[in-house]
Amino acid sequence: MKKPILILSLLGCIIVVLALVRITLVNSISTNGIKLVDIQNQIGAYKKQNELLKEKYLMAAAYTSISAKAESLGFVPVKSQVDLSAPMPLARAQ
Amino acid sequence: MNWRYRMTLLFFLLVFGLIICRLFYWQVVRAQELSAIGQAQYDRQVTTIAQRGEIKTSDGFSIAADKLAYLVYANPKVVKDKDEESDTLGKLLDIKSATISALLSRDKFWVPLKVNVDNSVKEKIEAKKIPGVGFQDETVRFYPEAPMAASLLGFVGKDENGGNKGYFGLEGYYDRQLRGKDGTSIVVHDAAGQPILAKMNDSTMKVDGRSLLLHIDRRIQFLLDNELKNGIAKYGAQNGMAIVMDPKTGGVLAMSSFPSFDPRSFQNYNESLYKNPLISFAYEPGSTFKPIVMAAAMNEGLVKPETQCDICAGPVKIGSYDIKTWDDKYFPNISMTDIIVHSDNTGMVYTGRKLGMTKMLSYFDKFGIGDSTGIDLQGEVYPSLRPESEWYPIDQATATFGQGLTVTPIDLITAFTAIANSGQRMEPHVVAAVQTPDGQTIPIPPKKLDQPISPQTAKVMTEIMVKAVNDGESSWTRIKGYRIAGKTGTAQIPVEGHYDPNKTIASFIGFAPADDPKFLMLVVLNRPSTSIYGAETAAPIFFDAAKNILNYYGIPADPSDE
Repeated sequence: MKKPILILSLLGCIIVVLALVRITLVNSISTNGIKLVDIQNQIGAYKKQNELLKEKYLMAAAYTSISAKAESLGFVPVKSQVDLSAPMPLARAQ
Repeated sequence: MNWRYRMTLLFFLLVFGLIICRLFYWQVVRAQELSAIGQAQYDRQVTTIAQRGEIKTSDGFSIAADKLAYLVYANPKVVKDKDEESDTLGKLLDIKSATISALLSRDKFWVPLKVNVDNSVKEKIEAKKIPGVGFQDETVRFYPEAPMAASLLGFVGKDENGGNKGYFGLEGYYDRQLRGKDGTSIVVHDAAGQPILAKMNDSTMKVDGRSLLLHIDRRIQFLLDNELKNGIAKYGAQNGMAIVMDPKTGGVLAMSSFPSFDPRSFQNYNESLYKNPLISFAYEPGSTFKPIVMAAAMNEGLVKPETQCDICAGPVKIGSYDIKTWDDKYFPNISMTDIIVHSDNTGMVYTGRKLGMTKMLSYFDKFGIGDSTGIDLQGEVYPSLRPESEWYPIDQATATFGQGLTVTPIDLITAFTAIANSGQRMEPHVVAAVQTPDGQTIPIPPKKLDQPISPQTAKVMTEIMVKAVNDGESSWTRIKGYRIAGKTGTAQIPVEGHYDPNKTIASFIGFAPADDPKFLMLVVLNRPSTSIYGAETAAPIFFDAAKNILNYYGIPADPSDE
């Protein structure tokens, strides 16, 4: 007669422990949704920032804008070339 | 007792029957509807939009990419001082304040004010703290180098469902690769509306679009755009186009045409400008076609560079037509080399006669004339050649000097890859590789289309074309110190059954350095007004651009050639 009582009390304890574990877990993850929203918002903000920075970089590195800036600063295109492999034009036969 | 027992039993049976019927109604008849209502209480379906792939030049710079923009909207019922806010918003959004005022006076809770608004403008509006004004994120196509290479890129517009779709050029041709596939996510949330971490899933995964890595060299494209734009203005042409290609791979290094459009505001331009004339403009190529016919005759061994023409002392009569030279000057016994150098039409008639109709058409086929080149751009036109039975002697005679048949610029330059590339005709290609969203690069290998002439013939033709540059009509503008092979073209334009003597299509095609070509370039000017000749209009543009490209490649000049 003692054995069934022992088993039944053991099972009861297990049920209580599992119930407590479940309550603890549920409580601990119940606020994860808020954290998740925060993380998603942060990811969204970083992505936006990244896209805006990329746009700025592309605009700044575009030849059309560099050329316009260079022109406004007074730079002019070089029409002649310097060829270092050619002999210096000294004492050249006429 | 018996009847009471039976009544009770009947009552319970009826009650159970009703319950079963109700359960059947809920769980079978309205099962799907109720399930959907239940699901809607705890999950939400979200469409995740795939990011459109980028288009990058050979240096990895994105010339087409997605960017973040905003839709500015307002709730007219919340906006307080509508007149003042209309003025403020009108100035910031660059819209008439009367338009904003009309929108704000509507009896609605939501009115859109402007789409495609930049972040800088959004920040300015936010700083004003106008009540009832909000922003909705949207993605728009962004072209940092615009309007550079607009006709090559095409643009992104809307399809019949309001989604993004590429039109014309690369955006059109590679639309399916670039657009990717939108996905659907189901987000499960709790009673407070917060998403539940463990229950979030993607039922259909979104797939971002693939990016394109082009053969286009941004530096060559930029300088070609500038040279062509200046050239069109200088020579008073109606329009113009130019293309630079690597003859060894068929890779298109630059492609330019003017007038053009701005892909950022394509809707403000005439639709005719959307087409890329380099692949859709069919014209009679004139003398730039002569090296093709000459190469065919030489490849057949029918003529040699020193072979003399015995019909070139004066105009050649064919039926009721007289074939004359462009300047009415004639060279008796002119050699094949000098026929190309002096661009002698009568000499080409001689070459055509040697070649014969059947062989000439067969070579046109091998050079790809009248056939699609297979370039990876949307909108290629390929004017087909007439069947042999419909060719008359006068047609054959005029075809030898590029009149009476039509080609597109891409057609002609692809044919010339055979001369510049040891006889091998290469397929023109703009895209060098496709990049998947996970970073994998899938290269597109160069494709040989045909071998119309032998390497020896290609070499001989190259020498003849070098002589044409050094001693021909365009020699005044050539770049000293470099061996450049080239040929001018001045094609008359057929108008109402005859050729207009004052309107021409001036062109120049050539490659450099002649012995190991790094690029092949074609410049075409439509109806230049300062001069009708290719040697005086298209050739200077070609050589100005060529000089810059040779400098860019770091190819030194030969000081002995002064």
